[in-house]
Amino acid sequence: MSALTAFDGTQVSAIAEEVFAALIDGEPGHLYLTAPTSPSDLVDPLYAWVDMHADVSGRVLLSVDTGTAHELARALLRMGAEEPVEDEDLVDAFGEVANVVGGNLKALLPVQGTLTLPRVSATPPSDEGTTLVDRIPLAWRGRSFDISIWQL
Amino acid sequence: MRALVIDDSRAMRRIVSGILAGLGYETAEAGDGRQALDRLEAGETFDLACIDWNMPVMNGLEFVVAVRANRAWRDLTMMMVTTESEHGQIVRALAAGAHEYLIKPFTPDAMRDKLELLGLVPLSLSVGEPA
Repeated sequence: MSALTAFDGTQVSAIAEEVFAALIDGEPGHLYLTAPTSPSDLVDPLYAWVDMHADVSGRVLLSVDTGTAHELARALLRMGAEEPVEDEDLVDAFGEVANVVGGNLKALLPVQGTLTLPRVSATPPSDEGTTLVDRIPLAWRGRSFDISIWQL
Repeated sequence: MRALVIDDSRAMRRIVSGILAGLGYETAEAGDGRQALDRLEAGETFDLACIDWNMPVMNGLEFVVAVRANRAWRDLTMMMVTTESEHGQIVRALAAGAHEYLIKPFTPDAMRDKLELLGLVPLSLSVGEPA
């Protein structure tokens, strides 16, 4: 069993919940485990990911609807409901969420390594040569927020 | 007091700057360590630098080392604000010259507590009333 397969969904969920409570919502309870859905159910998806390189290499991939990413950016940047989110802020905010979630997951690895800068794209990273370790279906304010862990 | 917030994420710079402004700081921002050094080399002075670790061009650790190599900047207090939470990384940053370490995600109260430890919360705000 690799270090990455030692991650369990409860750990990942707990870290993500802590990130959202501290950085985004100001209180716990808005991000929670939900029933599994297929990533293909996302409408106009947006992806953010960071790669971890240590004795094993892995990827933490966040998948949401673009509308959810807009709401996430508004919440992180403390913007008003009607305030438009610029593309640069959207990419920056969603990428930073991936960075903080990924960085805290990296800390769970027995051998520390490096974390790449976050990447954000409307297309998912290539899964060629990768193995899905776990997919954690979460909901944030009722919207699908999917975290998946991949071995590279 | 003046603080320099160094992070490649505009969102994070805005969050950190907002907390510091609430504590009475005047803030400036830099998107990486190189930009931050440029401000110091241009003669700007700061009481505090809040420094992300993973940044393009010049990372936070490299910035700390560069600041500590210049005696003219010895009064600058440096606090790492980063997701790098592994013990060895924290030791590396402190050994290089950082004064404190705050792990993302953090709350405004956590940042305030760290600044109080450093004696960098304005006196009028350090006696218990909310920022």
